[in-house]
Amino acid sequence: MIGGRRPLQGRKPGDRRVRLERPHAPYFRYTGKGQLTARAAASAPTTPAGKTWASIRGFFVGRPLASEDEMGERLSKRKALAIFSSDAISSSAYATEEILRVLVLGGAAAMAFGLEISIAIAVLLIAVALSYRQICIAYPTGGGSYSVSRRNIGRTVSLVAASALLIDYVMTVAVSTTSAVEQITSAFPALFDERVVIGIAVLSLITLGNLRGLREAGNIFAVPTYLFIGSALLMIAVGGFRILVLGEGATYGPRLEAQVGNTIEPLTAILVLRAFAAGAVALTGTEAIATGVPAFKPPESKNAAATLGVMAALLGVLFIGLTFLAVRFGIGPVDVPAKQTVISQIAREVYGNGFLFYLFQIFTAVLLFLAANTSFNAFPRLLAILAADGHMPRQFALRGDRLAFSYGIIVLAGVAAALIWYFEGKTHALIPLYAVGVFIDFTISQSGMIRHWLRERSPGWRRRLSINAFGAALTATVAVIVTSVKFAEGAWLVIVLIPLLVGLMSFIHRQYDGQERELRVRDDGPLPGPHREQRVIIPVNGINRAVVQAVNFGRALTRDLRAVYVTDDLEAADSLRERWERQLPDVPLVIVESPFRAVISPVVAYLDILDQAWPPDKEAPLTIVVLPEYVARHWWDRLLYNQTAKRLKSALVGREHTVIADVPYRRH
Amino acid sequence: MPDAEAPSFRRAVVALNGGPSDERIVRLVAQNARLTKAEIIAVHVVEIDWTLPLDSDVAGRSEDVQRVLDAAEAVAEASKVKLEPVLLQARDVGAAIVDEAVERGADLLVVGLPYRKRFGGEFAIGRTIPYILQNAPSAVWVLRDPISEETR
Repeated sequence: MIGGRRPLQGRKPGDRRVRLERPHAPYFRYTGKGQLTARAAASAPTTPAGKTWASIRGFFVGRPLASEDEMGERLSKRKALAIFSSDAISSSAYATEEILRVLVLGGAAAMAFGLEISIAIAVLLIAVALSYRQICIAYPTGGGSYSVSRRNIGRTVSLVAASALLIDYVMTVAVSTTSAVEQITSAFPALFDERVVIGIAVLSLITLGNLRGLREAGNIFAVPTYLFIGSALLMIAVGGFRILVLGEGATYGPRLEAQVGNTIEPLTAILVLRAFAAGAVALTGTEAIATGVPAFKPPESKNAAATLGVMAALLGVLFIGLTFLAVRFGIGPVDVPAKQTVISQIAREVYGNGFLFYLFQIFTAVLLFLAANTSFNAFPRLLAILAADGHMPRQFALRGDRLAFSYGIIVLAGVAAALIWYFEGKTHALIPLYAVGVFIDFTISQSGMIRHWLRERSPGWRRRLSINAFGAALTATVAVIVTSVKFAEGAWLVIVLIPLLVGLMSFIHRQYDGQERELRVRDDGPLPGPHREQRVIIPVNGINRAVVQAVNFGRALTRDLRAVYVTDDLEAADSLRERWERQLPDVPLVIVESPFRAVISPVVAYLDILDQAWPPDKEAPLTIVVLPEYVARHWWDRLLYNQTAKRLKSALVGREHTVIADVPYRRH
Repeated sequence: MPDAEAPSFRRAVVALNGGPSDERIVRLVAQNARLTKAEIIAVHVVEIDWTLPLDSDVAGRSEDVQRVLDAAEAVAEASKVKLEPVLLQARDVGAAIVDEAVERGADLLVVGLPYRKRFGGEFAIGRTIPYILQNAPSAVWVLRDPISEETR
C-alpha cells in the first residue's frame, strides 16, 4: 500500500490500480531536474502568531503576489507622457511662486522680472531636454544618472550621482506633498493649521498603496495629469485673452514709485540670480523619461525622445504661461492670515471663486500627490540597484509580498514625513534643499554622455557630444549658482549629505567586498571534505530525554564527545555520575564543581582549557557544543525553559573554532 | 484557439503520457473548459510490470513522473482553470485511465497519440488508445502529434 490507499478495483476482474498521494503538490511543483518551485502554501506562516500577523498584513497590504505576476506593460507615448511627466509638470505649480518669493524682496516692481526669469529657465529646460534626448537614444535600457556615470565615469562619481538622486527623490516626495496640501489649504484656509497632519496622512496612504504594489501604469495616473494640463492650459488661454485682448490685469509699473524705499533688497544681479536659482526647481523630474525608456513601446528610444520633447514643451508653456499671468495680474506670495499659493490665486483670478476654481485646485493637488508617488517607484528601485551592486544593505534588493521593494518604500516615507514635520509643511522652506541635487545629477549624467560619445564614436557623435557638452556646462553652471545662492538657506545640508552618503555607500561596499573575499572558495575542481578533528561537548543538567537525544546526536558526529555537568551540589553530582556510568558508559561525564554557583563561565573556562591542552603542532579541532533543548508547548511557558542554554549560547557566539548546535526535544 | 462549435463537457479526464503533446492537450482542454467552467482531471499512469507488486513505491519517488502532472497543472493555471492531478500505478494503462474516468463520472476523455511507425513503416497506434476507444463510455478525443521530419 502507498499513501494509506488500497488498490482500487477496476470494472473488469484483474484491472486494478493504485492512486498515489502526492504530498509535495500543495507546497511545491517540480519544474526541472532537481528543481522545485515553492507554491503559496510553502511560503505561508505555520505558527499561530505568524498566521495572525499575515492576516493583519494581508488586510492592509494585500495577499502575496508571485514574482511571475509582475506587470510588464509597455506604455504608449500618450500614457507615458502622463506617467513620467507628472513630477516635472507638477513643478510648474510652485516654481513661479519661488521666483516671485525672491523678487518680492526687491519690491513689487521687481516682480515684473519674473517673466524674463521664467523664459531664461525655459531656455535652460530646452538645453536639458535636448541633452536627455541623447541619453534616451544611447541607453534604450534606461539611462539614470547613476548607471550612465557608472558605465562612463567611475564608481565614486556614480555614487555622487546616486546620493544626489536619493536626496532628489526624498525631496520630490516632501515638496510635492507639502505643495499639494498647500493647494488644498489655499482652497480651504480653515485647514491651514492642520497641513502637517494632512500631509503625513496622505503620505501614509501613498506609502500603503505602494506597499500594496500600486503601479504607475494604470489610467488612474494618466487621467489626473491630463486634467491638470488641460485645465492649466485653459486657464492660461482665458487669462491671456483677458490680459492681451481685453486689456485686463495690472502690471507692477504703476506702483513702482510707491515701492521705492519700501524694499528689503535692491534689485541686483544677485537677487535676479537667486530668483533664477529658486525657479530652476521647475526642471526637477525632467530626467524621469530617460530613466524609464524600457517602459515605452518599441521603438523605445525614439518614442521616449519624442515624449521628452512634448513634455519639455508642455512644461515650458505652463511655466511661462503661469508666470505671465501671475505677473500681469499682480499676484504675489501670500502667507497671512493663511497661505495662498500663487497658482491658486491665478486660478481664483481666472476662474472666479466658484466650482471651476475648486476643481482646478483638486486637479493640482492630485497631480502633486502623483508626483510624490513617482518617487515611490524610483527611490526603492535605485536603492535595490545600489544594494545589488553592494553599495546598500542587501535587504533593499528584496521584494516584499506584493513585489514592491518594501524596505525602500518605508525608508522613503519615513524620511519624507520627518522633513514635512520638521519644515512644518512649508514648501518654500523645503525648496532650497531640492534643486541642488537635481542639477548635480544633470551635470554628472551629461558628463557621462560626453565620455560615452568619445568612446563610441558612432555616426553623428560629434553633434551629439556637443549637445551633451553644452548641457553639462550649462547645468554645471546652474548647479554652482543654485548651490551658492541657496547655501545658507539649506543647500549646505545637501552638500554635506552627499559626501556622507557616498562615504556610507563606499563603506558598505568595502564590507561586502571583504566578506566576499573571506568566504570565497576556489572554483577549479571538487572541494575536499572536512580535515579537522572535531569534538563534542554537551552541557547537561542530569539524565533525561532531551539530554539522551543530544548525546545520541553527538555520538553521530564524532567519537570524541563528553558531557559537562556544572554544580555546587556534590551529592547530586555523585548521584548523577553513578547513574551516568550505568546508563551512558561510553560517554565521559565531566563534573565541574562551582562553589560560586556560576554556570556559564565554568563551561566557557572548561572549553578554554580544552583548547589550551590541544597539541600545538596539530590544527585546532572544531568544538561542537551540543545544547539539549526542551521545546515548550505554549508561547507562555517558553520563559520557564532553556534560559541557561540561551545564556550559554550568547556566551559562545563568535567563539573561535566553536559551533553551537541546538537539539530540540519535542513531546509527542 | 478554442472552437466555439466544440462539444461542451462538464468533467474531462486528460490522460498524460509525459510526452511533448501533454502541454498542447492540456492547453486545448483548458481553453474549452474555461468557457463552460468544466472540471479537468489530469491522469498519469505508471505501468508496473508483473515482477513488482502493484503498490510498490515506483512512481511516488520519481521526480520525472511528478513533473508530468506538475507541468500540466502549471499550464492549466496559466489558462486560469483548475486541474486535479491524479497519479496512478497499474498493470494496464488503458484500463486504469478508463476506470478512473468512469469512477470520476467524466463525460470526456482526452488522450494524446504520438505519431510512431513500426518497423516496416506502418503507423503504430499502440494498445492503449484502441482499448480506450473500445471501452470508455464517454466521448473520447484523440489528439495525434503532428508528423515530424524524423517520423515522416
